Amino acid sequence: MSNLAELVREALAPDAQGAIAMSRADDIRKLALASGVDVVGIAPVERWDEFVPAGSRPYDILPGAKSVVVVGVRGPSAGAWQSPDHRLIEMNGYDFANDRVIHLVADHIEREYGYQAIQAPGLPIGGHQPAFSMMLAAVLAGLGTRSFAANIILNPKYGLLYYSACLTTLELPVDPMLEQDVCPAPMCVQVYKAGGRTPCQAACPSDDGGCLHGTIGPDNRIESTYYDRERCVSRAMNFGINSFQKALEQIAGEDDDERRRMMIHSDFFTRSTSAIAFYKESVAQCFECMRVCPIGRAERKLK
Amino acid sequence: MSAADLDLMEAHKRELGELAKKAGALASGVADANAFTAAMEGQRPTELLPGCKTVFVLGGAQPRAGDWASPSYRHMETTSTSDRVTAMGNRIAQHIERRFGYYAVTIPPGVDRARRPFLNIALAAELAGCGSPSLAGPVLHPQFGFMYYTAVLTTLPLPVDGPLATPACPAPECVTMWDELGTTPCMATCPIDDGGCLGGSLEDGRVKERRYDVARCTTRVQTSFIPGFQKALEAVFDEPEKEKRKMILYSSQFTRTLWSMSYSNVSQGQCFECMRVCPVGSKQRALL
Repeated sequence: MSNLAELVREALAPDAQGAIAMSRADDIRKLALASGVDVVGIAPVERWDEFVPAGSRPYDILPGAKSVVVVGVRGPSAGAWQSPDHRLIEMNGYDFANDRVIHLVADHIEREYGYQAIQAPGLPIGGHQPAFSMMLAAVLAGLGTRSFAANIILNPKYGLLYYSACLTTLELPVDPMLEQDVCPAPMCVQVYKAGGRTPCQAACPSDDGGCLHGTIGPDNRIESTYYDRERCVSRAMNFGINSFQKALEQIAGEDDDERRRMMIHSDFFTRSTSAIAFYKESVAQCFECMRVCPIGRAERKLK
Repeated sequence: MSAADLDLMEAHKRELGELAKKAGALASGVADANAFTAAMEGQRPTELLPGCKTVFVLGGAQPRAGDWASPSYRHMETTSTSDRVTAMGNRIAQHIERRFGYYAVTIPPGVDRARRPFLNIALAAELAGCGSPSLAGPVLHPQFGFMYYTAVLTTLPLPVDGPLATPACPAPECVTMWDELGTTPCMATCPIDDGGCLGGSLEDGRVKERRYDVARCTTRVQTSFIPGFQKALEAVFDEPEKEKRKMILYSSQFTRTLWSMSYSNVSQGQCFECMRVCPVGSKQRALL
């Protein structure tokens, strides 16, 4: 299939090849948007050369990679943002829609066009560094720019998005990077000029126990940023792999049997464990009372 | 409220019902957000979503007929969860927000502090007429029986369904069994007075009393998963002998426990304050 596709492609005139590539890019965008993502951008692999060391470029991960398709989805619903129970947003912020869609994109490229396509690795595979930065991918695909707020990439329309990327050997027409910084917004520039801080810096000032600081230059652009990552992790990820490791260390270091038991069954450790777990594999191990229940049995009796 | 308003509410409800069905739900219904008077403080819809008017409940993703038929009971442990129905809830919430412009939030399946759920989803299902509480515990749908539920809180006004007029439990067969033997199928399979978890009585074809040993049930229903992990960890640290400790850690039970609770992530970030105040994208979050 790929050999045939290649032969056909080579036989076509450059204009026709361009039209095909454009049509494929449109199809990929339509597929991704129809599958639930909010934004799609395409970047050429050469854009990475300037920013990342050898070993982390798209073509280091997928030999022969030509393009990177990046998708972004909104996280928490507007309703979740409204909830006074902040824990609700913790649990509701993210449902991996971007990962699901990027698999559809990769499948589409391989099956329809006969080119290799993989999901870019987004999680750390050694130490604490991911093999491929989704933040950088989003910037290079023209979907957003870095912000004062923990360097989070902000999209001009949606702000915070969750990103996934697909590396492919298919050459596609690319999107320009954003010419205008998304952060600071005009309102933030005004707030900064009046009070010396942007809203995010005021919410979490690094000189007052928080994580963020930065300055805006005379051109109204980011002049400098400071982000206390360790302090942020201790707040933003107080349940998760980090807290689990920390709690486990404390449990292992506790000599008193009773205290150790208390720590293992504590609310904190339970929630830390819940945070790294996923209620997917095995939540319940007994269904016997339901097995004998007559209600709904007709629905369970098939040929 | 004008007739046009009512028509619009009905149209919204119909559209959501159709979407729920298309997404795979078998049942859907609407509960009044102010009807959760039996809920604990902090667990009422209006406390979780200010201005919440209604709770849209979806039910489905129950074990398939083939799952029930499998002779390997371990099979269902790994295929039957609330995942799918929660994904449907997210889809409904997204639709409410993006199409109708009202706030919506899906109640996650996990627990809040002190191992309490965010919202009693069983109560929501009952108040939305998607089922009724049973002697066995789960809310049962009159047609489909046991299923998983999810609840979407929203500021969108919708016509309310309210609880079922006739409870799904006890079924006529169970009433007959009670009259003849003084027990029901669920109570007979797990009798609270004989090492099990369920007890109760019927009167005039209705549930009169229900007894449920939640602690005992947990030790059975969650032999692996997080409580199992904690129990195993306790055993590991209590074991002074190095070789035995190693055996526990590599045992089938501990391995299974780790499989049961791992694979992904439920709670990745616990602070969104810098984003909350950020004006970029705030228009997308400012709805009716």
